[in-house]
This record gives sequence, structure tokens and C-alpha cells, in this order.
Amino acid sequence: MAEKALVTGFEDVRVIADFIGNTWLLWILLGVGGYLYWRGRNSQYFNYVFNRYVLALITLLIVSGIVFSLMEVLPGDCAEKYIAYKNTQGETITQADIDAERARMGLDQPLAVRWASWVTDLTLKGDLGFSCAKRQSVNLALGERFWMSFMFCIAGLVFAYIIAVPFGILSAFTINKDWKDTNPQHTKAERFVNTLGLSFNKLLDLQLRIISYLGLALPNFLLALSIILLYVFAGEPTPTGLFSDEWKSVPWFGDNGFEFGKLQDFLGHIWLPIFVIGWSATALQLQTVRALVVDESNKLYVDAARARGVDGMALWAGYPVRHSISPLFNSVGFDFQRIFNDLPIVAVVIGLTDAAALLIEALAQTNDQELAAGILFLVALVVISMNFMTDAVLAAIDPRVRKSVLGS
Amino acid sequence: MAIGSMLARFGRKKNVTADDAYYTAGQMALIKARFKRKTSGMVAAWILGALVFMGFFAGFFAPVDPTIAGADKDYRRGAPQAVYFWDQNGFSFRPFTYTYAKEKAKIDLKALAGGGLDALDALTSSGALSSSSQNKFTVDEDKRRYLQFFVKGWEYSLIDLSVGDLDLDIRWDRHLFGVEHGQVHLMGTDEDGKDVFSRTLHAVWITISIAIVALVVKLFTSLLVGGVSGYFGGKVDTVMMSITEAVRVIPPIPIYLACAVALAQIDLTSVQRYFAIAVVIGMLDFATLGRRLRTHILTERNQDYVLAAQLCGSGTWRIIWRHLVPSFGSYIIVDTLINFPYVILAETSLSFLGLGLTEPVNSLGVLLQKAQDPDIQQNMIWQFFPVAVFVALIMAFVFVGDALRDAADPYAEKK
Repeated sequence: MAEKALVTGFEDVRVIADFIGNTWLLWILLGVGGYLYWRGRNSQYFNYVFNRYVLALITLLIVSGIVFSLMEVLPGDCAEKYIAYKNTQGETITQADIDAERARMGLDQPLAVRWASWVTDLTLKGDLGFSCAKRQSVNLALGERFWMSFMFCIAGLVFAYIIAVPFGILSAFTINKDWKDTNPQHTKAERFVNTLGLSFNKLLDLQLRIISYLGLALPNFLLALSIILLYVFAGEPTPTGLFSDEWKSVPWFGDNGFEFGKLQDFLGHIWLPIFVIGWSATALQLQTVRALVVDESNKLYVDAARARGVDGMALWAGYPVRHSISPLFNSVGFDFQRIFNDLPIVAVVIGLTDAAALLIEALAQTNDQELAAGILFLVALVVISMNFMTDAVLAAIDPRVRKSVLGS
Repeated sequence: MAIGSMLARFGRKKNVTADDAYYTAGQMALIKARFKRKTSGMVAAWILGALVFMGFFAGFFAPVDPTIAGADKDYRRGAPQAVYFWDQNGFSFRPFTYTYAKEKAKIDLKALAGGGLDALDALTSSGALSSSSQNKFTVDEDKRRYLQFFVKGWEYSLIDLSVGDLDLDIRWDRHLFGVEHGQVHLMGTDEDGKDVFSRTLHAVWITISIAIVALVVKLFTSLLVGGVSGYFGGKVDTVMMSITEAVRVIPPIPIYLACAVALAQIDLTSVQRYFAIAVVIGMLDFATLGRRLRTHILTERNQDYVLAAQLCGSGTWRIIWRHLVPSFGSYIIVDTLINFPYVILAETSLSFLGLGLTEPVNSLGVLLQKAQDPDIQQNMIWQFFPVAVFVALIMAFVFVGDALRDAADPYAEKK
């Protein structure tokens, strides 16, 4: 008797744990919202962040609606796929079977009802639906592939920012400056040294601009193709995929502990997608940083600072650069979106097996609606939460932003 | 007397100094003047103009019909034919190429006739049956083929102005250059014997025309969304902007993909299909421009001239279209030009994945798709010619757009 009570008590705990485990999304959403609402009662900052949060939730809801109705235009539905799958097993199927299957899956319901149930399933259970072509749940089919794509995008983003921000600032520095120092107050030697420095800067700027124009003109997939082509000409094995064949089946932790050979092989392959993805983002960011810093450097407060005697690095770092960082920081979410946008095509060329490749497969080959909707929704979720977080951080740093609640 | 006053006016006009011209010039004249000062922009503009011109009159500039009808059956997978002025046989004022003859494949069929399977194995594994070794050509350097200019060839449509029943299709059969016998392939041929050079020229215009259609559609959707949202403000603005924000958040290429797959279900001709794709790309690209327009109109709608127009009894649409949108005109024009390469890239990406335009059509995306083929990478590298043209085209657009953006910025003058 006592033993049974113990077991049922254990069961209860497990049921509760499962319930919480399945509904994590709901609790996170409610928790963050509740906390912000509670803090927002008498704080302008948290009020602003709470408003942003509500806006983000509304956007997310609209995104799910758009994604879901967009997937409706894809031909073929889940019942047909299931029936076709059964067909290959040697069963003969009639139209009545398809209709019955459709009724069982709830596909005969109107779009709005299905959308509502999709959204409730997602928020209450964290369940992204069922992938018809893969014959398993979307969560399982995506699994770590989504995290892989996510890491690709983040790595590409970091790559782009590390290159674009300092060089963009340097490039902006050279604008409105002659390549030759003709200041009569300088001595001849000073003029010579300054001229050398300025012309070096101008040359660097020119190179950077050519690179960034090339980055805009050479789309990602062409860049990937050209790199692969170089390998073909050199007669080397092309670094496509994530691992070479010999390491593909080796587990990370083998008999001799951690396999460093596999890590080395992985690093030998991973640079290609990150470089290719980061490349065009870098080009775009270079242009943006340059334009932002140039815009800021023409403003009156920079002249005022200059008149006070601030000069050189102190002037640039303290005034125009500092003020042009915030719009740049604000665009991180959309940079992520842009990079993910390019990822599917790159994945096709390089032969990756991440979520982006799965998305292409789901959209173009198997017409797997729920899988595609799930991936698109997750990407939108990442972009929206990034936008929300950058807004929150920005408002904490820069009080001017807080006034523009609800964009009015 | 009339002549006198005319002369007086004429004389006065002549006295306008360069300074006055500068201060009385309109926005467009200023942009033009500033643009002309930028060397890189001007060079890019000329290159762009040349490419677009050659693309538009592709029928005239192309020496060979780019369709399957013009495919050269005797020169499949053929390498580019070089054009010479002189060789060991002497100098010629007229450029010429040589005669190319297909090599007879040397397959030893006698060994096969014995019925030995080993011989068959050896034959298949030797690569003698592969298409690249089947299509080898010998150059006959003694038989010159001189280039001729303004030759008669296949008939093409120079400009098609037909609207409805009105038949204004101007056709012509003269081409800029060609050879006496057979065809000339400056950039080689593909697997079907279609001339790569001619295909590329035709592809340039098709790709640009898609971009134009897409940008016009985009312009109208952005104007509609931005104009309405900005002018009415309040709740309309909130609803429309949250929808815009949602569209902006989803990555566009997958959406294009889904629409392209849906379009593939409808039975469309290739021309209708490409217009449909252009419309889809344009429709879904309204977010950025729409938002900027809305912000502009939100600030402008409280200006005095709008109030004046309202007091004069102008309707809402008239105020938006005649007063508010034109005040944003130069930005819209520049933004449209800057967006050209991105729209072209969207189309190319779609076609590259095999979901935009497909094979018989000559679009740059279709031609770029071939670059993915390992066979072409190794044996027919000349099929990368469209890639070079594509990069040149996009570069030219980017440079022109950049110079134009600098020129349109009223604060760009040096202090």
C-alpha cells in the first residue's frame, strides 16, 4: 500500500514536470511579461520595455498568421502525403480514404481554426506540429539542425561585425580629406609624413570599397561556387559538407577520449559557410557604418567639440562613432534575418544539412507545410526577440529612445 | 516690336551667370550636375548603358539565334572561337576565325564484336563514351572564315510595340556580325549547341525587364501602404505598421520560394510565369520603402501647405499623390535605382534553385544555374561567361546607385 502511494506520488511529480517541460514557452512568455508589467508600474524604462514586449508578441502572432496562411498556397496536404506513403506500402487507396484521413487530421476545418489550434499547441505545448514528409514531429525533425543554423548565422554575424565596424569607421575617416597634406603651417617633413599616411588611408579606403562593392555584386552562392572551383582547379578535395568522409561516422567522444582529429576536420570545413555567409553581410555593414559615421561627423556637436580642442582619436571615438553605434546595434535582428535568408542557397551549394537546407527541401521538393512553417516561425521568433532585446539594451543606454514608445 | 522684345528676352537670358543657374536650378538638374562630377559613377553609367542597350537590342548584336532552333548541331560543347587578324598565313584587315571540324570518335568496335565483356568494361571505364571526349574539335587553320558585318540571318523582333490588336512588331533580319559559312561562337556553345554569347545577351534584357516590373509593383505597394498609413495615422497606422513589421521579419527568399512552388501548379506559359514571379517579388518587398514613406508623410502632413490644400477642398488622394508623395520624389527614384541589383539577385537566386525561370528561357539566373554543374566546372569553363556578365551588370548598378545617392543628398556639398 505504502509502496503504491510512493509510486503514484512519483507519478504526480513526473506529470507536473512533464507539464512544465512541455509548456516552457508559455511560462517564459508569461514570466517575462509579468515581470516587465510589475516593474513597469512606476518606471519609465520598464514601461517602455513592456510596451515593446507587447508589440513583439503582437508581431509574433501576425507572423504566425502570415506564415501559416502562406503555407496554404503550397500544393498537397498532409492527408495526401500520408496516403501516398501508405500507397508505397502496397495498400490500395480510394478517395474516401483520403477524405477520412483528412477528417481525422482535422484538415477539413477552416484555415482560422487550424491556425488557432497550431498557435495554442505551440504556446501550450511548445509543439510545432507534425512533418508530413518526414513522418515525425517537427520538433524532432528539426532538433539540433536549427541550433546549427543558428550558430552559423551568429558566427557569420560576428565575422561581419568584426571586419565591418573598424574598417567602416576607418573608411569614413578618410572622406572629405585630401590624399595630400597642403597645410602651410606644417613643416616640409610633417607634410611629407602626413601625405604618406593620408594616401595610405585613401588607398585602403579604395580597396575596402571595391571589396564591399564586390560583396554586393557577387551573391553568396557565386562566391561559394568560385571557392569550390578554385579547389577543383587546384586538384584538392573540395571542403563541402561539414565533415570529410573519413570523419563523418566517427563520434565526438571515442575510445581515446575527445577526438581532436574530428574537431580539426570540422574547423577545416566550417570556415567556408561562415566566410561565404559573412561576406555579403560584411559588405553591407561596411557601407552602413561608413554612411552612419559620415552623417554624424558632419553634425554641429562634432564641430563644437573640435572647437573645444578635442582632436584625433578622442574626437572620433567620443563623438561621431559613439552616436552612430546605436542604429547599427539596432539592426542586429535584421542582419540575422538577412543572413538566414541567404543561408538556404549557400546550404544547397556547399551541401550543408542544417535547418536552412531542410527549409529548401520542405518548400521546393516535398511541400512539407508544417515543417516549413515551423522553421520560418522560429527564424521570425529569433529576429523578433533580438529586436526586442536590442531595443531594451539601447533604451537602457540611451534615454532618448525611451520617449518614442509605440513609434509616435 | 515683337522681335525687339524677343531679342531683349534672348539677350537677358544670355546674361544668366553660372551662379544664377545654380541657384535657380531644379532638384533634378542639381542631382544631374553632381552626378556628372563623380567619375566612377559616370564610367559605371556608360558600362551599364552599353550592357542594357546590347541586351535590349540583343537580336541585333547576337550572331546566333539563342533558341533551340539556332543550336549548332555540329558544334556541341564547343570551346570559344577566337577571332584573329593575322596568323602564319599572313595579315588580314578583316577579322576571321578558323573552320572547326568534329573529330571522329575512335572507338574500337572490333574488340566488342568478339563479344568480350572485358573489352566493353575497358571501353566504358576509359571515358571514351563521355560527352566531353565525344565532342572534340580540330582546327583547320587553312580554312579561314571571315567575319562579316550587317549580315542577313534569322529574323527577330527589334521592338515589339503591339498593344492589343495593334500590330506594331518591328522585325528585322540583319545582325551586327556573322561569318560566311556556318556560325561563329565567341563564347563557345553549351550541351545543345546553343551559343553562350547570344544567350547571355538575351538573358540580360529578360533579367532587367523582370527587375523593372518587380520595382514598379514594389513602388505601388509601398506608396499605397506608406501613403495611407502615414496620412491617416492613429489606428490605421498601428495596424498597417504591425503587419509591415511582421512581413519585414520573415526572410523573403523562402516566401518567394513558396509562391514560386504555388505558381508552378498553375498552368502558365513561360512569359506569364516570369511576370508572375516579378509581381510576387515586387509585392512582398514593400516593407522598407513603405516605412520610410510613412515616416516622411507623418512629419509632412502637419505642414502648412497640406493645410492650405485641405482648405482649398482637395481630397485625401489628391493630397497624398499630388503634394505628399512628390515631396519625397527624389528619394523614391534613388531608392528604386539602388534596389535594382537586389531585385535582380532575388530573381537569380530563385532561378538558381530551379524555381524561378527554367531552361528554355534565357535569364541570367538560368544561365548561372549551370555553374553548379561539376561537368561544366571541369570541361566547359566558358559557360561561366554569363557569371562575368552578371557580376559586371550588378557592379555597374551598384556604382551608379551609389553615385546617385551621393548626388541626391542635398547636404553632400563640401563645406
